[in-house]
Amino acid sequence: MSESVNGVVFFMLAFATIGGALMMLATRNVVHAAYWLLETMLATAGLYLLLSAEFLALVQVLVYAGAVSVLVLFVIMLTLRRRSDAIRPFEPGLGGAIVAALFLGAVYLALTRFVAPAVEMPATAPGVVEFGQIMFTEWALPFEIASLVLLVALVAAVWWSREGEDR
Amino acid sequence: MGYVVLIPLLPAIAFAALAPLPRSVRNRALGVAVAAVATSLALSVAAFLAVTTEAGHGADVAYHASVVFAHAGSAELGFGLLVDPVSAVMLLVVTVVGLGVQVYSLGYMHRDERRGWYFAVLSLFTAAMLTLVLADNFLQLYLAWEIMGLCSYLLIGFWHEQEAPRRASIKAFLTTRVGDAGFAVGLLIMYATTGSFAYDTVLGGLAWAPGAATAVALLFLFGAMGKSAQFPLHVWLPDAMAGPTPASALIHAATMVAAGVYLVARALPIFEASGVALTVTLVVGSVTALLGGLLAAVQHDIKKVLAYSTISQLGYMFMALGVGGFAAGMFHLVTHAFFKSLLFLGAGVIIHAAHTQDMREMGGLARHLPVTTGTFTIGALALAGIAPLSGFFSKDEILTVLLHEHQYVAFGVAIAAAFVTALYVARLWFRVFTGPVQSEGLREGHAEMLAPMVVLAAITVALGFASPAFGEFVAHHGEWPAPLMALTSTGVAVGGLLLGWFIFGRRSRVLNTRVIKQRTGPLYDVLVQKYYLDLTYDYFIVQPYARLASGLWRFDAGVIDGVVNGAGALWRQVARLGALVDARAIDGVVNGVGTAVRSAGDRVRRIQVGRVQVYQGLMAGALLLLMTWVIVKGA
Amino acid sequence: MTVGLPHFMALSAVLFSVGLYGVLTRKSTIMALMCLELMANAVNINLVAISRFVTPAEMTGQFFAVFSMVVSAAEIGLGLALVIAIYRRRKTVELGAMEELKG
Repeated sequence: MSESVNGVVFFMLAFATIGGALMMLATRNVVHAAYWLLETMLATAGLYLLLSAEFLALVQVLVYAGAVSVLVLFVIMLTLRRRSDAIRPFEPGLGGAIVAALFLGAVYLALTRFVAPAVEMPATAPGVVEFGQIMFTEWALPFEIASLVLLVALVAAVWWSREGEDR
Repeated sequence: MGYVVLIPLLPAIAFAALAPLPRSVRNRALGVAVAAVATSLALSVAAFLAVTTEAGHGADVAYHASVVFAHAGSAELGFGLLVDPVSAVMLLVVTVVGLGVQVYSLGYMHRDERRGWYFAVLSLFTAAMLTLVLADNFLQLYLAWEIMGLCSYLLIGFWHEQEAPRRASIKAFLTTRVGDAGFAVGLLIMYATTGSFAYDTVLGGLAWAPGAATAVALLFLFGAMGKSAQFPLHVWLPDAMAGPTPASALIHAATMVAAGVYLVARALPIFEASGVALTVTLVVGSVTALLGGLLAAVQHDIKKVLAYSTISQLGYMFMALGVGGFAAGMFHLVTHAFFKSLLFLGAGVIIHAAHTQDMREMGGLARHLPVTTGTFTIGALALAGIAPLSGFFSKDEILTVLLHEHQYVAFGVAIAAAFVTALYVARLWFRVFTGPVQSEGLREGHAEMLAPMVVLAAITVALGFASPAFGEFVAHHGEWPAPLMALTSTGVAVGGLLLGWFIFGRRSRVLNTRVIKQRTGPLYDVLVQKYYLDLTYDYFIVQPYARLASGLWRFDAGVIDGVVNGAGALWRQVARLGALVDARAIDGVVNGVGTAVRSAGDRVRRIQVGRVQVYQGLMAGALLLLMTWVIVKGA
Repeated sequence: MTVGLPHFMALSAVLFSVGLYGVLTRKSTIMALMCLELMANAVNINLVAISRFVTPAEMTGQFFAVFSMVVSAAEIGLGLALVIAIYRRRKTVELGAMEELKG
């Protein structure tokens, strides 16, 4: 007994994700690139919903779509002196493209050779309640450490970006 | 007995609480550290009492608990607490001396502006030693061992504004690290052969192959030699005197150097399975005991005398362990911990009062520092092995066990070392306490400094009478020293003291000629004539002896200290020779090679373009290669 | 057509490669950081998908994804703070302008 992923929805979301990523690289305006990143992140949240990871989808929207994109936009604004600075020349970067393509090929080969153990999607998927229970029992210690990491990052970010004496 | 976990934890918490505070606050919060150690002491007493009642019921291990952190194959890596008679005794020693040193430091360090940090490190040091003592596996012991290495580095180099402490701390760290490397390799071999670090598995009932046992035991011994300053890895300890004196007391008595002896004592079953390792331990101990004693007798720095004396006494402990004398070695460790910390604390008061460490500039302190003199004398007599102080009993046990195992050479060495010990004790005592006063404004130490010394002196006096009980407690076998042995060792010690008095006790008056000249005027020449004898003694006894000893010292400083330097110099000579050949014969070839290397380097250097993205690309490329390899291999 | 684990993995691989290409080629530090986020995102999709298909009850991959998000959030925060700090000093955010480590 298994549950199937809606093929149509998947391919729409996949198109949105990869298309958003490509557009992000294709656009010449940094601000537009940030918007395309936002679009990609939202589409990824949809993929998470498809995988019945509701909590993660929510976090994805909150953290990436909400916080990270806004932060990126802020920094873009802060570091632009003129409006026209946002427009960047097109950078094809042949070497990078070759490396990335080779990488993709290698992953493709790996995927075809090493068959995943389960292709069928199991029917039962635990919900947010179970997720929360496991999170705060089994994963309580890593969770606390993660919060510490965030705190340290926060303090460090404030320290670095603060106005004042030259460091 | 769950409270046992608090014994090491409290000082550790004290460190964690003090370390992050700002200096001004930390300097006022010293009570935290002292209170933590005091509580640990109380808990250790409770644990000790619990073990004594348990031991009566035939069970050796009173408490054993462990937490498993990780599984490596079938083995479990964990943190454990093991309270048995040995660790219970060590707990008491560490906490008593630790508390004494901290209370003393309240007085000794009260004007130092970084005293808060000093107390924090003292606490961490104590916590590490307690963790080491309570360990139920060698891995945990090793971790605590390394923390202690760090703490000793911090304490020895505490006054790092000055050159000498900075150098000494680095030397101590590196020298002990050489030993630690051996210890670490030993641990790995042990794990590879037995698959476990736990005492239960490794020490109890496991049939060791002699080869593996020898390898592990010798490597452990190497580690212990570094930590416990055994010849030839002892060179760090005299230099370590550059640290604050109370810290020296801690390092020399309760913590650092005791750790090596404790390791060998714990691992004694492995040594016994090997046999060869026992003999090596005995030889190392014998050499160290005698050489350390001889070197102690020619030092002028009071702390260095005590430092070499520690080395010598540790040699005694290794000798005892080298013939399987577990109880004797441990008992000497315990008694030595008390009287040596007492001596160091006393030396601290003396140095404070006389404003010098050089014994030639001291004298006549007895009249001005009555409490220090009294307690120091007790410690000194215990070190010399005079009945009925504790040092006499423990030294006697070692002599007994050596004789019992028919190690006559080692016995002779031990007797000789005992004689030398008494000799330098007399030299130290007469130089410092008798003779004319040479310093202005001699003042007795603060009450906080004297109180721990009095307590330690009391323990030094009383502890000896616990000798049979101690043997019974840790090894199910204890007895009073045999009368003949007691007579022999006391005779040797008294002989040494007498000779010391004969040479140094009277000589000190001559040495301070300047003062005598001032006081006696015309009588002075007569005194010189009268003491013409002294010159004779000096010529026939002292000088040859001093030459021998300073020769040994030079050997020590030159050969052992200079092994690294020597290796460097040797290499330089080789290189110089190479350069000669180079210049004469193969200049062109070498230059060609050099050019080739340089141009290759130039080419390779271009990888370091300083651009993040090129590095990223290289990373991706490397990843790609790795993936290709995996795919090809998997296919 | 049934969509299975390989589809998600393929999607993730494509997304990762796109991100890699961006990181290697973009000259603006901000763009490079954004592409880095793209790569992290691809990894997270992989984690969640594998978790859903292989260990649905334990949800291990989902927890991994949560922590990965934490780390990448910290990373982007710190990265952008660094960009600001560098911008203040150099008045530029071009990666090419930073090559003090040139050997």
